[in-house]
Amino acid sequence: MSNVLRPYLAAVRSTLTAALTLENFPSQVGGCSSSPSVNSIRVSIKIKQADEIERILCHKFTRFLMQRAESFIVLRRKPIKGYDISFLITNTHTESMLKHKIVDFIIQFMEDVDREISEMKLSLNARARTVAESYLTAVSLGIGYRVVTRLKCILWSYSAFAPA
Amino acid sequence: MAPTDVKFRKIDVDAYDEDVLLETELYDPDPRDPQQVIEETKARAAAVRSSLSKGDILGALVTILDNPPYGSNAEEAKNLTLQTVVTVLNSTKATDIPNVVRSLPPEAQDTLMKYLYKGMGMPGWGDVSGSVLLGWHEKLTEVAGTGCIVRAMTDRRMA
Amino acid sequence: MILLEPHNYIIQTTLVDKFSKPTTLDVQFVDFDGVRFHLSTLDRKTVLLLSMHIRCWDELVRYGAQDVLRREYGSLVQSQPESDYNISLLIDLEKAPPEGEQRDAFIHSIALMKRNALAAPFELAFKKQKELENSSSGQGDIMAIHYRDEEAIYIQAAHDRVTVIFSTIFREETDRIFGKVFLQEFVDARRLPQIQNAPQVLFTNRDPPLEIRHVPGLRDSEDIGYVTFVLFPPHFSNPHVAAGTVSHIQLFRNYLHYHIKCSKAYMQSRMRHRVSEFQKVLNRAKTEVASTERKTVTGRTLQTR
Repeated sequence: MSNVLRPYLAAVRSTLTAALTLENFPSQVGGCSSSPSVNSIRVSIKIKQADEIERILCHKFTRFLMQRAESFIVLRRKPIKGYDISFLITNTHTESMLKHKIVDFIIQFMEDVDREISEMKLSLNARARTVAESYLTAVSLGIGYRVVTRLKCILWSYSAFAPA
Repeated sequence: MAPTDVKFRKIDVDAYDEDVLLETELYDPDPRDPQQVIEETKARAAAVRSSLSKGDILGALVTILDNPPYGSNAEEAKNLTLQTVVTVLNSTKATDIPNVVRSLPPEAQDTLMKYLYKGMGMPGWGDVSGSVLLGWHEKLTEVAGTGCIVRAMTDRRMA
Repeated sequence: MILLEPHNYIIQTTLVDKFSKPTTLDVQFVDFDGVRFHLSTLDRKTVLLLSMHIRCWDELVRYGAQDVLRREYGSLVQSQPESDYNISLLIDLEKAPPEGEQRDAFIHSIALMKRNALAAPFELAFKKQKELENSSSGQGDIMAIHYRDEEAIYIQAAHDRVTVIFSTIFREETDRIFGKVFLQEFVDARRLPQIQNAPQVLFTNRDPPLEIRHVPGLRDSEDIGYVTFVLFPPHFSNPHVAAGTVSHIQLFRNYLHYHIKCSKAYMQSRMRHRVSEFQKVLNRAKTEVASTERKTVTGRTLQTR
């Protein structure tokens, strides 16, 4: 985890932990007779997007996740306006799930989503560079395809596409 | 029903509910007059400046966090309080934070937590610095526990 | 595979196969940009007819495609192409060069049929540049090749250069943004010492380059991009180098879009992996529910209290 993010995630963690302890407990504060009970907690996240590339990657990633919302029971299909992704933790979730593990999940999500987007961007730039250099090298040297292909394949394998 | 006919969603159903819970029912109103609250807050902000000039961080915090303004008609006083709290937080050395939060009375700890959240919700407002608030939040949680956060979250007398 | 090869793989492998073992054959297949091929045997197993349909054929003929193809394939070119196709080659396996290097070259040249047809406007532009060189001014006409429904190549010779402009459509926003990243690298790559002799590359989004701004019917929308290659005599004065340049440049659009697709597929596989990791973390939050009934040796059911 980056040092910049650490205190932030620590605050999110303690806040979420506190919020989840509220669930199913009638509110004791306020000294009011009719106590509302907290039965759900919504967590909405806005992901850092420094440029157009990060914006499209973030959009693709969150859309990909939200399309699979049914397997992520705490995930909403649509985020709250102004945010990229929303989670809704209801009291039925906290009955069947360990609260501190739900917190772990959200924290890990926040950590990973940031890193994943940065890494995807780096890989896109790296690929673009190799693609451009391979092509222009071939054109400027007027050499055949096979030679260049072999050279560049050594530099950078396309293992990502190999079948698992 | 036609898909365009969604006006019913905009109806304020609470207006028709006799059992609706109003904010005013959640807590007793501040007995002080709003104008009086502002005057008090201004006086305290001045006292804080004087404490800070003597290097008395704890005294400054106790002063501003005691009997804070609340209720929906005290926005101006709340903002002035936040501004004053932020000034104190920004003038504290990171190494002094644990001792300061430990010495605060429990009520003041809860109020400080409320103002930390208020500040975090307004990044870039005035002198609010995210990293300073996060540093205090971490130390305050270590000392006062999750309960302090719970109390800050659930108290309807919001900062 | 990073670079795309200019020859058609199916023609290449099928011919190699038929030379070693002639059989009756009737196959249709496609190449990039909707180019269609039909390869079939006629009355004898050793006589093959290869026909090609290409949507911009009329334009290519105007720029000398017939001459280029006749130069490359000589008497193999049929005076009357198979119906529904633009050009047909008659390949008699028994009259082909003997096994070895010569035959390999023969097969390879046939597999380059599409490349050779599309080479015509390039060759014409290179010739025109030579003509204009001595006058040290002036420029040739713009040759437009509408090789796809909404995308075209524009080629124009000047006294000191040949300009090749691709118009290309980015259907999705992701394609447009990824395309921009790739094209920026094409522009930046020339700063590398080993690539300084490469053609200059320019790209614009939406706004057509000056050279073709007056061409009627250009699309005015956010999803269109223009890529310009500026070729100088060193890129085409030597015939061998010129051939390589033509092969690479004419495939540029396919190359770009192929790599945009690869990148999208890669992102997709990464996201799938990351999401399954998230799933594992969330699953750890689920409280264990013993789903199987546990029994003692004597057959009594164990009960949790």
